[in-house]
Amino acid sequence: MSESRRVQDFNRHVASGGKVEATDWMPEEYRRAVGRFVEMHANSELMGVLPEREWILRAPTLKRKLALSAKVQDEVGHAQLLYRVAEDLGKPREAMLADLLAGKTKFHNVFHYPTHSWADVGIIAWLVDAAAIVAQQALRESSYAPYGRTMKKICWEESVHILHGRDVVLTMMNGTARQRALVQDALERWWGPLMQMHGPRTDPAKDRDLAWRIKNKDNETLRQEFLTVYVPRLREIGLQPPDPELRQDPDSGTWRYTEPDWKELYAVVTGHGPRSAERLEFRRLNYAETQWVRDTVLAAPLAA
Amino acid sequence: MPGQPMQVYEVFRREREGGPMQHAGNLLAPDPELASHYAREFYGRRQESVRLWIVPRAAIVDLDDPDLLQPPFDRSFKKPVGYSTEIKAKLAQARSRAGTGKAGEIQ
Amino acid sequence: MTTGGPGTTGEPAASVNQFDPETKQALANLLLATADDEFVIGFWDSEWTGIAPLLEEDVAFASLAQDEIGHAQALYQLLADLEGGDPDELAFGRRPEEYRHARLLDHPRTDWAFSVARRFLYDTADAARLDALVASAHAPLAGVVAKMRREETYHLLHMHAWLERLATGGPEPRSRLVAAMERLWPDALCVLAGVEGDALLVEAGVLAEPLAAVRRRWLAGLAPELERLGLPAPPADPPAGCRGPDRSDDFRWLWEQFTMVRRSDPEAVW
Repeated sequence: MSESRRVQDFNRHVASGGKVEATDWMPEEYRRAVGRFVEMHANSELMGVLPEREWILRAPTLKRKLALSAKVQDEVGHAQLLYRVAEDLGKPREAMLADLLAGKTKFHNVFHYPTHSWADVGIIAWLVDAAAIVAQQALRESSYAPYGRTMKKICWEESVHILHGRDVVLTMMNGTARQRALVQDALERWWGPLMQMHGPRTDPAKDRDLAWRIKNKDNETLRQEFLTVYVPRLREIGLQPPDPELRQDPDSGTWRYTEPDWKELYAVVTGHGPRSAERLEFRRLNYAETQWVRDTVLAAPLAA
Repeated sequence: MPGQPMQVYEVFRREREGGPMQHAGNLLAPDPELASHYAREFYGRRQESVRLWIVPRAAIVDLDDPDLLQPPFDRSFKKPVGYSTEIKAKLAQARSRAGTGKAGEIQ
Repeated sequence: MTTGGPGTTGEPAASVNQFDPETKQALANLLLATADDEFVIGFWDSEWTGIAPLLEEDVAFASLAQDEIGHAQALYQLLADLEGGDPDELAFGRRPEEYRHARLLDHPRTDWAFSVARRFLYDTADAARLDALVASAHAPLAGVVAKMRREETYHLLHMHAWLERLATGGPEPRSRLVAAMERLWPDALCVLAGVEGDALLVEAGVLAEPLAAVRRRWLAGLAPELERLGLPAPPADPPAGCRGPDRSDDFRWLWEQFTMVRRSDPEAVW
């Protein structure tokens, strides 16, 4: 069978919902595309730990400390699961970590921003995780089966995080005036990045990840799903998303909104966000500090 | 012991008493002892498993040859679906001959 | 006096009502010291979340830290049942000088070898302490201790695994481990020291033996492993000021962090 015929059969297979396993034959392009997709996802889970981990120390009750510690632990676990998936496609974990730390690979925009207060912790755990889960639920049906299965486990674990986040926000909204002000302030700072999180509208015909069903829903669909569920939930407790244009068309159900700042998104994901450099530097330092453990006790193979 | 290269370990878990061992995922570890601790973390820290098997990937014997697992010749004689249509038709015929049942019903 | 409220084991603490005030105070001292130990080590070790040497180990170490916070919560509840207040108030509502954790926990997390050494020393000492409490005449405490011992099984397995690997992993891990243990040993003895009135607790059947005896038992239990691995031996006696009120600058920093949000709005519920 010719190579191109093989590729055509493969494309038909995935386009009609067929699955691919790590040991199956796959076109090099598909292997690279999945690898990049999963690697960016893994990087995001790992970098996502950083905005939240400083608040583990600052959590104001024993219950919140346990919950936040468990949440961040889960994110580290998700990074591990996703790096394992990407590694089985051929790129060693050490190489992926090296590329992340060198600024060569990307991670999602939201993790480049600072946190200011405990209210940020609630908003991130509720809304950022919710926006992520909208995408992650769709990824459970990925053509790349190891990724789909991992997403099922991740979605199951993430459901607790959203509940924790909502609980933190509700507690504050039912609390003092100062607490309510902190939450509204946090929402106003996080709204822009949240709206950018799913990415700009893309032309489905040109999106290879969609064609190969690595992902199954386009960016705008995901953003609309998020808004449909979460805008009412924000408004019903007295929180106002800071977008005067934000409204749902009564007939189509489509949400209209101020166009997100795509220039900001591009600048941020290419490493120019408010905390991008600082967080990568923090990771680099810590990674270097623990290299002796990997070199001796764990004897991890060196980066390719 | 000096550092050993990391290996992939596959983890299987039983969710509740009487259930089967099911593949849950995999992890990297330098040796079986730490692999078992890590398996506990990833597949047991939320009390979600009653048992875990941790197996080096290298120890798994893998069979995925479609010639062996999906051989092409008809095998309906080995499966219930190979009989149900035939039986339905013949039962209808027998009942009608015996004057006992409604055509097309299986009892 | 226990009221059987949320968080208690529901056992009527008849024994506590028979205690004289000095014995009750000694019990409060023990509960506070133990709870503070678990609380503070849980905080230091949770700092490794996200930055441990290996992703898999990151998740494991985070579990150990969470377990300690859970244990602290249960112990603060026992103390609240005895003296009033609530666990969060006890955990977060004191000045740094009022914390009664062992000096072992005044040190920051430092490097991986230091954290492993400190955890190893703490978990093994704590196991000896729990052994002396498992048959406690104070039934609520015995109940909590029984649960803690089960969770500590995993801690001991994990920390023995790391001690072994660092001690035999080559010159670099070994030298870091030895240096850490030499620094930590004097303060480690404080885990089983510094609780006023422990003799009264032995008389009342709350504690099986005086802390000094628990300490000897702990050290005797560790000796074979330390010898086999060629690791430093402990000094004879604990230093002065085992459980405060003098606290390290590192602990004061930690206190600033963990009380920051509560202090920002003392009226608020979080």
